[in-house]
Parts: sequence; C-alpha cells; structure tokens
Amino acid sequence: MWIYKKKLEYPVNIKNKDLRMARYILTQYGGPAGELSAAWQYLNQRYTMPDEKGKALLTDIGTEELAHVEIISTMLYQLMNGATVEELEAAGLGPSYAQFGVDLFPSDSFGNPFTMAYIKTAGDPIANIESDMAAEQRARATYEHLMDMTNDPDILGPLSFLRQREIIHYQRFKELRNYYLEMQTKNS
Amino acid sequence: MYSYQDRNLNYYNNMNFNQPYYTEDANPASLYDPYQGFIRGNMFPDLYNWYKFEQPMDLTVKSEKDQMLIYLDALSFATIDINLYLDIYPNDRDMISLFNQYRMEADRVRSEYENKYGPILVDSDASNTYPWAWDNRPWPWENQ
Repeated sequence: MWIYKKKLEYPVNIKNKDLRMARYILTQYGGPAGELSAAWQYLNQRYTMPDEKGKALLTDIGTEELAHVEIISTMLYQLMNGATVEELEAAGLGPSYAQFGVDLFPSDSFGNPFTMAYIKTAGDPIANIESDMAAEQRARATYEHLMDMTNDPDILGPLSFLRQREIIHYQRFKELRNYYLEMQTKNS
Repeated sequence: MYSYQDRNLNYYNNMNFNQPYYTEDANPASLYDPYQGFIRGNMFPDLYNWYKFEQPMDLTVKSEKDQMLIYLDALSFATIDINLYLDIYPNDRDMISLFNQYRMEADRVRSEYENKYGPILVDSDASNTYPWAWDNRPWPWENQ
C-alpha cells in the first residue's frame, strides 16, 4: 500500500505565471520520458525481479517517481494558475482549455495523451533494468532541454532537483544491472 | 544561443556516468549534510553532476514554518537517498546507522511541525483534534 505525506519531496513556489514553460514541462507529466511513465514502468516491473535487491530498488524508485509526478503537477498548476482564456489561447493551450478547462491532463508537450504504451517490460531482468537506465537518461536529457529554455529560479530549482534524481536513479539501476551480470557470470 | 558544440563539451566535462560503481568494501565515506544534499538532489558528492549553474540554489525561508519544513524535507530526503543506496548495499553498517540517525531526527521534527501546523501524515498525533485537521490548507501544490 501507499501512504500520503502532505508535503512535496522538494518545494515548489512559482511566483510568475508562465504558460510557455507550462506547455513544455507538460511532457514530464504525461510524455514518453515523463515521471508518470517512469513510475509505472518500475512499479510494474518489480513483481518479477530475481532477488530482494531488485524488488526493493524498483519499489523505492517507483515510489519516488510518484512524488515526482506530484512535483511536476504542482509546477503545472502554479505556472497556469490565474491565466485567462485569451492567455491560454495565445500560448497554444486553447485546445487544452476546450477539452479540459483549467484541469491538468497528462499528455506530452504536443498534446498527445499519456499512454501506457510508453512503458517497457520484456520478461527479462537485464532487459528491464537497461530500459530503466535508458528511461533515466532520457528524462535527464529532457530536464536539461527544459532548463535551457528558462532563467526563472523558481522553475530552475525544481527542474534541477528532478534532473539530479535521474542521475542517482541511473547510478543505482546500473549497479543493480552490473550485480545481476556478475551473478550470471558466476553461475554459468 | 544554443550551440551543439558547447553543449557536448559541457556534457563531456560534466560526465561522471561511467565512473566505477561502489563495491561492498568501498563505502562512500562522506556524504553531504542533509541540507546540502537536499538542495543538490543528491547526498553523494562523488555522484554530483551539475547542469547550467554550478552553485546549487538555496531555498527561500520566509518564516519559522518554512524553516522547519525545509529542515524536515532535507532529513526526509537524506533517508530517501540513503535508502536507495542500501537497497544495493544492504551490508553497509555505517550507512545503516546514518540512515537511522536521519530517520529519528526526521520523526522528531515531523512531530514538532505537526503539533504546530497540522498533520503531514493522517495517522499522526496531530489528527487527534476537533474539528478534523487533515482537510486544512495548504495543500502541497498551493503556492505559499
């Protein structure tokens, strides 16, 4: 089961509305390298990991990704809070307003809805973990692209924190992958 | 201005993705303190990899409440990051003891915060109030 903590993993307090950045950051909510995709990829893979290390790591990183979904959603909410219909339309968010009003909806920056087809699972622990490593690298690259497009410290702080988490997650997945490879060599 | 060349140069300069991973007998000796780790998103100095700005951003503190929450965030963060490390290296005694030190301090600060400002966990002592305190503002996504 999961327990809710009524706080963010990293605080988000964005003072300036920014619909342009909201549209770009949206991909980290419901896009192919987004937090929702990462969370579900790991939590879905954990059941069949070959040992306790793998089950623990995928459970814990998957859980942290859920906290990152909340950070990204919070950023989107604050970046769009108080926008008028005209402002939303001018920022290219008219179609979003037509369908969802001011609600959030998980999609990529182009508006393609989130799909579970993004998540990878292959019935093989090495293939699974290497797809997790790739997911972390793609997310890191996306955070760098997003950081390239703003100088607002209120936006850069959380983006930088989230990017750094991808680096740590990548490292731990790599250690797990290498450990499994060693085990395979030993046992063959 | 976006320059592919500069970007790649920066990328390779910063890159530590391929450094050897820890082994059971090569403990990472010194971690950042919880606050310094928290503002970086990383407790492990040898894994820290910055982008765009070298100095991590300090968090703005506007009140005693902010200060207490940031301290709690930092301690919780330290336990999250050390937890992931321990999943892979379950026999690292020093790291288990560091995890527990931060965990106990986080529990203490959380109780203190909850008694003053309301529950962070619904099953905390701070929920024993009338009227029901859980549905009080602010929610985590609301700007402070």
